[in-house]
Amino acid sequence: MSSIKSQSRHANLFVVPYGMSFLVFIVCPILFAAALAFTQLDLTSREHLHFVGLDNFREALKDPYFIQATKVTCVYAIMIVPAFVVLSFGLALGLQAMTFGRNAVRGLIFLPGMFNVVVASIIWRWFYDGEFGFFNYLLKRVGIMPIHWLGEKTLALPSIVVMSLWWGLGGATIILLAALQQIPTHLYEAAMIDGATSRRLLTNITIPQMRHVLLFIVVTSTIGAFQVFGQTFMMTNGGPDRSTTGLVQLIYDTAFNKYRLGYAAALSWLLFAMILVVIIVQALLLRRSID
Amino acid sequence: MRGHFLTGLFFMCVVLAALKLFTGGGPLARQKTEISFWNGWTGPDGTAMLEVIRHFNEENPDIEVSMQRMAWDTYYNKLMVSAMSGRGPQVFVIHASTLPRMVRAGYLADVSDLFGSSTGLLPSDFESKVLDQVKFGKKMVGVPLDIHPQGLYCNADQLIAAGLKNPDGTPKPPTNRDEFIDAIKKLQKVGANGDHDVWGFSWTFWRNNFMALIPQFHGRYFDDNGNPDLVNPGNVAALAFMGDLMNHLKLTPPAESNAGWTGFRQKKVAMLFEGVYMVGDLQSLTDFKYFGAPVPQIGSQPGTVGDSHCLCIRSDLNGKEREASERFISYLSKHSLAWARAGQVPARISIRNSPEFKQLQVQYAFSKEVPYMIYPPRTPLLFELIQEIDQAVERVLRGEMTPQAALELANSNVEKAIARDKEENKS
Repeated sequence: MSSIKSQSRHANLFVVPYGMSFLVFIVCPILFAAALAFTQLDLTSREHLHFVGLDNFREALKDPYFIQATKVTCVYAIMIVPAFVVLSFGLALGLQAMTFGRNAVRGLIFLPGMFNVVVASIIWRWFYDGEFGFFNYLLKRVGIMPIHWLGEKTLALPSIVVMSLWWGLGGATIILLAALQQIPTHLYEAAMIDGATSRRLLTNITIPQMRHVLLFIVVTSTIGAFQVFGQTFMMTNGGPDRSTTGLVQLIYDTAFNKYRLGYAAALSWLLFAMILVVIIVQALLLRRSID
Repeated sequence: MRGHFLTGLFFMCVVLAALKLFTGGGPLARQKTEISFWNGWTGPDGTAMLEVIRHFNEENPDIEVSMQRMAWDTYYNKLMVSAMSGRGPQVFVIHASTLPRMVRAGYLADVSDLFGSSTGLLPSDFESKVLDQVKFGKKMVGVPLDIHPQGLYCNADQLIAAGLKNPDGTPKPPTNRDEFIDAIKKLQKVGANGDHDVWGFSWTFWRNNFMALIPQFHGRYFDDNGNPDLVNPGNVAALAFMGDLMNHLKLTPPAESNAGWTGFRQKKVAMLFEGVYMVGDLQSLTDFKYFGAPVPQIGSQPGTVGDSHCLCIRSDLNGKEREASERFISYLSKHSLAWARAGQVPARISIRNSPEFKQLQVQYAFSKEVPYMIYPPRTPLLFELIQEIDQAVERVLRGEMTPQAALELANSNVEKAIARDKEENKS
């Protein structure tokens, strides 16, 4: 018995390094940011820090740039999350059905995700270039007028969505493929004996069996969508006319260009609150589907 | 057991001492004063500066300057945070337009004693408007190293082919509004389907292009009481000219296009306004004949916008580090001709008058704008101001607002930012 306790103590020791780093690099900054959100901290001001209560939150709710960035972020999430889930699920189904070359195709789909977001954004910025870009070169070859993918307000955000899908689909597809491979084959065999069509197999067996994983993909891709920054920062720097300035870029500008760290912390907490609401809704859906 | 531990500790100390001795930790190395120098020169200009520093280190064996360069976007963030925690570099570069913010934060040392005959940095060797940029009350908080005005870049071959040349056959850049519009029309090449194979001119960095035109139309940013005055008639006229050239006359690529600098490099744009620092990007192109000229006089007087890199010292520096930093700054200023070759106009008049500088065509041509060039306004809220100007210019060029309405909105937003800042810093 004492040997087990001793082993347990030793095992706990192995957790200490991670626990310490979690405390220092995750918990402490969160607590610090929480405190900051109620202060005025301007790096360029001689009075660096003082308590302002809820003023930062009140200012945010009246700030047209915050409202605009919230709209952009929500539109981005609405565009990308369904597309992300449907496409990754479709790709996973396709890969599952493949009998030859599946590993090679899986590798190719996963490959874009290996690029750093900056690298991926620079590549796609060139693809999208209005005058000299790859896509417009192809359009010109077939006699179509060039399109200013990143220069048109209505096209810039959808163009970034397409790039983000290319960049992010691989990971989700691999997860969904793994989940597909876990579905017992006897379920399909029994249904086919009963004369089920392919569509019935998909809707009555595959999707219900995959619901936990699908909801996981929905939740994580939603969180990622709300935190979009690298692509918009590198490809359009929030333009044209702020049509791709999301919340994280607004927070970045507020903290590191305007040096208003207190206000930026408040904006971060508002973003966190939005994500939390979405997660709670999705968690409720998850619980209902399990029940 | 304890004996083994002590023996091990002893040998470890011996090994560490030996390593220290043989890896530069000797008495000579210890005498060197180490200076960290931060800047945002990540392009060819950074390579030129590294060469100047190498010479400085060779000529000053008691000082070791190491340069750290990072993109301007992140440079100021890191500088600000490191300065706040008291761990900033000893010497660093600040744009003249950014100085008010850093001065208010109290991060800059008074370097007034650097200007004098003992250091060779004579105030008379700088234009008063250049020196005024580093003057805050009675303090001088930096040494202007260079000036980088906006000017006109031209493709020499395309100008000659369009008949825009002097009697001796050299290309003739436009100098006034009529010549400018005439040149754009002659330079553009429109295909059968209406597509432009070559644009005569393109706006590049819209905000800077607008700010280059503001002084030509007697525009300004703030009134005499320090209140925002973006809606003055001069600014409206300057912005209207930009919008007209793009949307009514259709003489520039549309707002959605980004033909600007890349188009110029690819010979699809014949002329544009850009900063002198961009010349470094052209120097590597072997089959491209370009030249620089002052921005044409579009308004009622010549004018352009420019800024300066200023060499600053951390406010808490003293002793040997301070002395070494001052010596380094004096050296850079004296050797700013080498720096100018990378694409800058030296701040020192004596260097601009040297025959060697006059050989640098673009830099010398742009230096002629210095007498009438203006700096961005001196305000700690520069980011807030330029963000609003950016938006106003974009709205006009996209045809979404009139210049008057766009500038009114920008002015109102800047007023709010100033009111908030006053409230936050009222004590």
